[in-house]
Amino acid sequence: MAESPADAVAAQTAVARSPIAAAVPTVRDGWEVDATVAVGPLTLSDETPLAKVAVRAPFDGAARAALGVRYGRTGRVDIGGDRVLIAGAGPGEWLALGAPGTGSALVASLEELLAGTGEFTSVLDLTHGRALVRLEGAAAPSVLAGVCAIDFSDTVTPDGTALRTSVAAVVTDVVRDDRGTQRSGAAATGAVGVPSFLLHCERSSGQYLADALLEAGAGAGLEVTGFRGLEPSRG
Amino acid sequence: MSLLPTPRRPRAARPTDRADAERLPPRAGEVIDRRRTVGFRWNGTPYTGHPGDTIVSALAAAGERVFSRSYKYHRPRGLLTANYLDPGCMVQVGDEPNVRGAHRLLTDGMDVRSQNTWPSLRFDVRAVNGLASRFLATGFYYKTFIKPEVLWPAYEKVLRTFVHAGEVPPDSAPGHYDKRYAHPDVVVAGGGPAGMAAAVAAARAGATVMLVEEEHQLGGHLRWGGPAELARLAELRALVAAEPAIEVLTDAVVGARFDDNWIPVVARGIPGIDERLIKARAGALVVAPGLVERPYVFAGNDLPGVVLSTAVRRLVNLHAVRPGRRAVVLTANPEGDAAVADLESAGVEVAEVVDARRGEGVRAAHGRSGLRVVELGDGRRVEADLLVTAVGWTAPTSLLNQSGDRPVYEPRAARFLPDPTRMPENVLAAGGIAGDGDVDALVEHADAVGREAARRAGRSAGAAVTVPALPVADHPELFSAGTGGFVDFSEDVSAKDITTAAAEGYDSVELVKRYTTATMGPAQGKLETVNTVAVLAAATGRTIAETGTTTWRPMWAPVTLGALAGRSHEPVRYSPMQPWHERHGAVPLIAGQWIRPEHYGDPAGEVTAVRTGVGIIDVTPIGKLDLRGPDVAKLLNLLYVNKWSKLGVGRVRYGVMCAEDGVVMDDGVTGRLGEDHYLMSTTSSGAATVWEWVENWLQTAHPEWRVHVTPVTTAYASINIAGPRSRELLGRLTDVDLDPERFGYMQVRTGRVAGVDDCVLWRIGFTGELSYEVHVPAGYGLHVWERLMATGADLGVRPFGVEAQRILRLEKGHAIVGQDTDGLTQGFSAGLDGLIKLDKDDFVGLPELRWQRERDTAPRLVGLRPLDATVVPPEASQILDRAGGIAGRVTSSRMSPTLGRSIGLAQLDRELAEVGTRVTVRLPDGRDVAAEVTDPVHVDPEGAKLRG
Amino acid sequence: MMLLPCPWCGPRNATEFRFVGEAGPRPDPATVTPEQWRHYLYVHANRCGWSTETWYHRAGCRRYLSVERHTLTHEIRTVRDTATGTTSASTATPEAAR
Repeated sequence: MAESPADAVAAQTAVARSPIAAAVPTVRDGWEVDATVAVGPLTLSDETPLAKVAVRAPFDGAARAALGVRYGRTGRVDIGGDRVLIAGAGPGEWLALGAPGTGSALVASLEELLAGTGEFTSVLDLTHGRALVRLEGAAAPSVLAGVCAIDFSDTVTPDGTALRTSVAAVVTDVVRDDRGTQRSGAAATGAVGVPSFLLHCERSSGQYLADALLEAGAGAGLEVTGFRGLEPSRG
Repeated sequence: MSLLPTPRRPRAARPTDRADAERLPPRAGEVIDRRRTVGFRWNGTPYTGHPGDTIVSALAAAGERVFSRSYKYHRPRGLLTANYLDPGCMVQVGDEPNVRGAHRLLTDGMDVRSQNTWPSLRFDVRAVNGLASRFLATGFYYKTFIKPEVLWPAYEKVLRTFVHAGEVPPDSAPGHYDKRYAHPDVVVAGGGPAGMAAAVAAARAGATVMLVEEEHQLGGHLRWGGPAELARLAELRALVAAEPAIEVLTDAVVGARFDDNWIPVVARGIPGIDERLIKARAGALVVAPGLVERPYVFAGNDLPGVVLSTAVRRLVNLHAVRPGRRAVVLTANPEGDAAVADLESAGVEVAEVVDARRGEGVRAAHGRSGLRVVELGDGRRVEADLLVTAVGWTAPTSLLNQSGDRPVYEPRAARFLPDPTRMPENVLAAGGIAGDGDVDALVEHADAVGREAARRAGRSAGAAVTVPALPVADHPELFSAGTGGFVDFSEDVSAKDITTAAAEGYDSVELVKRYTTATMGPAQGKLETVNTVAVLAAATGRTIAETGTTTWRPMWAPVTLGALAGRSHEPVRYSPMQPWHERHGAVPLIAGQWIRPEHYGDPAGEVTAVRTGVGIIDVTPIGKLDLRGPDVAKLLNLLYVNKWSKLGVGRVRYGVMCAEDGVVMDDGVTGRLGEDHYLMSTTSSGAATVWEWVENWLQTAHPEWRVHVTPVTTAYASINIAGPRSRELLGRLTDVDLDPERFGYMQVRTGRVAGVDDCVLWRIGFTGELSYEVHVPAGYGLHVWERLMATGADLGVRPFGVEAQRILRLEKGHAIVGQDTDGLTQGFSAGLDGLIKLDKDDFVGLPELRWQRERDTAPRLVGLRPLDATVVPPEASQILDRAGGIAGRVTSSRMSPTLGRSIGLAQLDRELAEVGTRVTVRLPDGRDVAAEVTDPVHVDPEGAKLRG
Repeated sequence: MMLLPCPWCGPRNATEFRFVGEAGPRPDPATVTPEQWRHYLYVHANRCGWSTETWYHRAGCRRYLSVERHTLTHEIRTVRDTATGTTSASTATPEAAR
């Protein structure tokens, strides 16, 4: 990990850090992030600064309808005026990803959204409890094949799939979130995106998971690139 | 210098001539590239060959005929099968032992050496035989190396020298071994004509196919055939190449078939990788390994110069090597006849064709370091340097056996055949293993198998494909001439060994296998099993079918340890403060997956800092579960031995969990943060187990309870601030009111620390000091830690590690689950008498604890002080009763910096557990020391410090 | 390696699961005798044939599953979520492990 910026400590400004060391540390939105920019088409970026909120509710009830995403799938939803990626991470479990710093607001919006369902629900900000990386590129499925027993071919795990499995012996939520697809009309337009996977595990294993992916991808030219955010095409 | 006897064949000795002495003019199907030359060394002497040569084909082209010494008797061995299985062709290449010399392709600069040349380089063959025969009797391991046991280490040394094989030098460079997962619809094991046809058919039916071939090219036996076969080969290869859905892996083997078609494939020849282990989960498996030619058992059958017909055909047609000058051919089938034609075309004089179909036979081979005379069945003796045998085939049914099939012996065909009724749905057989026929018949059958495999893998709809049955050709049963000879060339097991074993009562084939070690060598029984069965059948007067066969177990071919180990996945976990620990000289402690600071150089000084000033410790690995819902209190009441219904908001309580057998499982404090919101802590090592335990009770016993459990262990960086000045330090950084009147012992608050919101503070005291455990959103952990260190500099704040914490808690008499308890320690043996509430209606483990209380005979957890205050008995030292029996053990033991004397905790028999009792502690070095039983709490028994 | 058809995640490698044990009812702690309790703790049928077991999908949906498995052939007849009763038939089954 990088040395902490000494001036930040002196000024008593709280800087949040990812568990994954940044090669070229810089501060953005209150988080220390990596300023490295990759040149190749196969990249790994640390997306830990994204707000990560867990939702628990009955798997098939009113909460699911309100969230608009079922187990095993993902969707981009507007919640409280923010664009949020929601993944049906487990039976009765959802993971909402938002822009850095929006965790508390997202919790409040989701609680408001679910309040009317009458179901037993809970909403928990896990931004600091999880590590999140994005593996992107045409060769991403073959990199994952080195560390994960799941079949990541297009037919079995198409864009928009959410699943949980073991990646390099760490329990990991895997969300396929391809780049360049029109999610709503992909089938109709035949648009094919670049395979892109969000991998989400408990925080303390983040560095290990990133290292395992980099090792598995070394032969394919996997490079580290800096924080990209949820919608880099807009940022 | 050669390690082996010089071949008798006359040839020039100059190194430059050690190439191509026996090389034939170009052959139509040859796989060597004559335009290029590859240099290598054989036992130090330079040789050359061509790309496409195997190590052994290049040596054979140079006229070499002996490639190793046999395992037990150190007999010279040469070519037998000229493929991966060849038992006489195992060599050392550089630092890699046990290389299959008749399979591994030659590369430039290879340093090849012969193996198994113990006891000495030029030991006389006859002397070795004489020496060996005295103690290498049947079952010699069992007869010789049993008693007395004190000599086992010596036996081990002797046996080690008999082990197959070369050496792995300790300084050999690590290889690069890769692993990956694959999900082909169909795996085809074997890339001969049937395998290729099945792969093409499956791919055309919409399946993704992994076509795995042990050799370096697809094609199987077509490669060494005539013009018609070569044309067919080109056609099939073109069809395979035209299917993008077929992944072709050559120099690769399907190692095994496990449940649900979990199939390990070991692949070599990949650039930059020594070996890759592919863990394939296939929809369907097509087993198409072809047939393995079986050696013939007769006296002298292991002499260099006695070879199989397929070996001759490979050498002549693939590598353009003349295998000898004057040959006798024993043939029982068309392949043997074809070998005669190949020999003639290669300019080998065929002195005699012995046709087993006409009742003719071979009785023995004679020679010393190579074949010189063949003794025929009619008594005639024919001079020859080559004896070719074509006596039949073994169906290598390993993968089918592993799938549950029990192949059946068919005497008419003289081989085992699969039993289609016992094959699982997702395994099919194609090619020679399934039956006989010309190439067209095999391809037609395999085409149907391939289509059906795709269908069974779910890749094509429609009705089941009718797979035509392949006919089975008649073949004479020809196993042994009855004149002796070797059954297992790898293990040096002779026909006589098998007969002797049977006479000694080992009449079951499985017992004979273990007793003689036949079929247990590197060829995995593919050459040996059926001959073993046949010789045993003859010796016991049973049929081969009655005798049965041994079990073919994984792997199909030996796998290197590197391939199995490969890239290893061993997760490690770090706290957010790890970079600070590393910069400040923390000595790392590996605790499960966690890397933690054991200490920062001076654990005793760290203890003193906590007792007299203030210290901070990173306790992030402590397990933390966020519990929400109206029924959390019910859950806590069920899982903990104590009561939870009256825990108020803002309060923290210590709890212990037992399993249903009453054994202590985990402990920790749980705080109530809100009406329906709790934070539970667990031991660091128990975090995952407790989470699963909680979910187990919620999901299987009480699905009606409304509780959501979320692990938040690493959502918080956890810092314990301990010591009389901890309040002063924390007070400088937080807006939480720390006044003891309002934030008392065993209470919880939330608030802001060092500018970070949403921190959870609980006032607890594992160390026995006034202390606050601060749980900080993990991303800010390093920030808060650094602020505490900077802000507390004038207070003398010190970081302390796990070792200081262990001492502090031992001084305070706090037990650690798993250290002061073990897998049999029930609650009342863990000092929990006041905690366990037997008047609750129910909790996990209640009945056992009730009975333990009633018995009142269980060991107790006690404090212990050696009378000699300088003696620190090692943990696990035994405690003796007055009669010298074992009465307990020391579970924790340290020198206490606070008291300046040794202190401990112990599990001790009930009768000795009274405070003040004198006991004897036996140290591991045998010394006995006296100790006194005390209260477990060694420091501040009143708890004044904690509650201050 | 056996595939276990998780009703939530589809067929997954058995290594993703923890085998919890044969399923059986918990006796009433108020009235149970030591013999009955220890039978519950330690005595398992271990039958060669169909067995009802509990498995935990620790690297997947994190649900406790009631599995009917043939101990000889590893054939699996039914898999049911212990809490919700969900079976493979009642969820869309991703085939990710295949």
